[in-house]
Amino acid sequence: MRELMDKLASYSLSDFILFSEPVYYRLFELYNLAIWPLQLLAIFFAFLMFVMLWKKPVWAGRLIAGILVVSWVWVAWAFLHERFYQVHVVANWYAFGFLLQAVLLTWYGVIKNQFILLEENKSRISIGLKLLFIFLILYPFITVLTGRSWLQFEMFALAPDPTVLVTLVILWISKVTPVFYIIPIAWLLISGVTLMVM
Amino acid sequence: MKYKNNWSRRRFLQSLALGITGLASPSFIYAGSQKVLTKPIPSSNERIPVIGLGSSRTFNVGNDPLALDNVAEVMSHFFNAGGKLIDSSPMYGSSQPAIGYGLKKLAKTKEVFSADKVWTWDTGRGPAQMEQSRKYWQVDSFDLMQVHNLVAWQEHLKTLYRMKQQGKIRYVGISTSHGRRHDELEEIMKTQPLDFIQCSYNILDREAEQRLLPLAKQRGIAVIINRPFQRGDLIDELEGKPLPAWAKTIGCDTWPQFLLKFIVSHPTVTCAIPATSQVEHVKENMNACVGHLPDQAMRKRMINYVENII
Repeated sequence: MRELMDKLASYSLSDFILFSEPVYYRLFELYNLAIWPLQLLAIFFAFLMFVMLWKKPVWAGRLIAGILVVSWVWVAWAFLHERFYQVHVVANWYAFGFLLQAVLLTWYGVIKNQFILLEENKSRISIGLKLLFIFLILYPFITVLTGRSWLQFEMFALAPDPTVLVTLVILWISKVTPVFYIIPIAWLLISGVTLMVM
Repeated sequence: MKYKNNWSRRRFLQSLALGITGLASPSFIYAGSQKVLTKPIPSSNERIPVIGLGSSRTFNVGNDPLALDNVAEVMSHFFNAGGKLIDSSPMYGSSQPAIGYGLKKLAKTKEVFSADKVWTWDTGRGPAQMEQSRKYWQVDSFDLMQVHNLVAWQEHLKTLYRMKQQGKIRYVGISTSHGRRHDELEEIMKTQPLDFIQCSYNILDREAEQRLLPLAKQRGIAVIINRPFQRGDLIDELEGKPLPAWAKTIGCDTWPQFLLKFIVSHPTVTCAIPATSQVEHVKENMNACVGHLPDQAMRKRMINYVENII
């Protein structure tokens, strides 16, 4: 085991990011073209989440958790496994992590119905709603703002980064145990390093 | 030990032959009307062009049809300029199928000098991985198979020697990069009958000159140089800085040519494998394959110049 760790340590981060920035963003372009019109469903999901957080019916937590579960499973299969794995040999491990998070969300949010908003913490809810607006509505426009083709947009429920960010906000404004943060934060670290190194 | 004894006798005779006939010096083949610089593989005297083509990152394009056609276009210019050796690895994502796509499109599966690697800690999986790689490349067999970054090299080398005996590959090699694990590589070079090693070497990072290259010369091992531009960082640093006027005397009009000619002018280096996804860059790189190579005095001048302006 130690020998394996020593050998792994002989690699640098850039040795594991063996694709270029244009190739990475072009994956999103081809993906968006291939899955159209699922983007409309993603927009509906975003709308539904805002309605649930505004109206707060008794089954709001369960529905929001359900949307997150579908999103994590879809991203694991359709993007990480089917697309990203073509250029990144460890993407299937990422997909496995996403599926694990979906299982956790299913058990806690859908089956046990434990996604309960922190109603008493008004400022946290207010900040959370603003962050959700950014990650659900504005995030896809980053593509254009950074000078890339608009077809390379990344949306909640379809692409990993916005899906993870929205999930983190939902977790933050709800009563959940810290274990739910492990995979989303790990992904943000992985994604951040990838964007930095590639 | 058996390998070592056989190797010594065989290599001694080959080295003698090379010395007598002067085969180790650069020579030419023709690509159209253009002379292309070549060097011999010490274990066979087969000559290969001094510039090859790497595929790490640049050819890892997934199944994007536009990008695959671009890879084929780059390969087309490489072959037209007299290039032969293309290098890849299972570690490089979809680079192998991209190369296979290009080779088939250009009908070059028989002409390419195919260099690939085995990269798995599960040594039992080695043969299956190499067979999968061969299918990706769409070639009948590989010319050179290397152990990637010394991973499980003891077992993989046994498999490769067996494959060479069976005629499934022509040459056996081992690779490293970024100056990693040179001590271990040195020990392997001393005891194993290798045809090739692959390591990093460039005008600023010349560690290989200390022990690896002299040992390769002594043992009659061909040397492939990867990351000749430090993954593009060297070119970025030199961009906008003037080439010396005397660069023209060694046929260099661009920094890539200058840097590549420095590398392949080392007497023990057989070829360098710059990777690129751009047609203009592959044309520039292949220009280092023509004209004269700098002599020892000129190499020192090149080092001094680059070290002074960076």
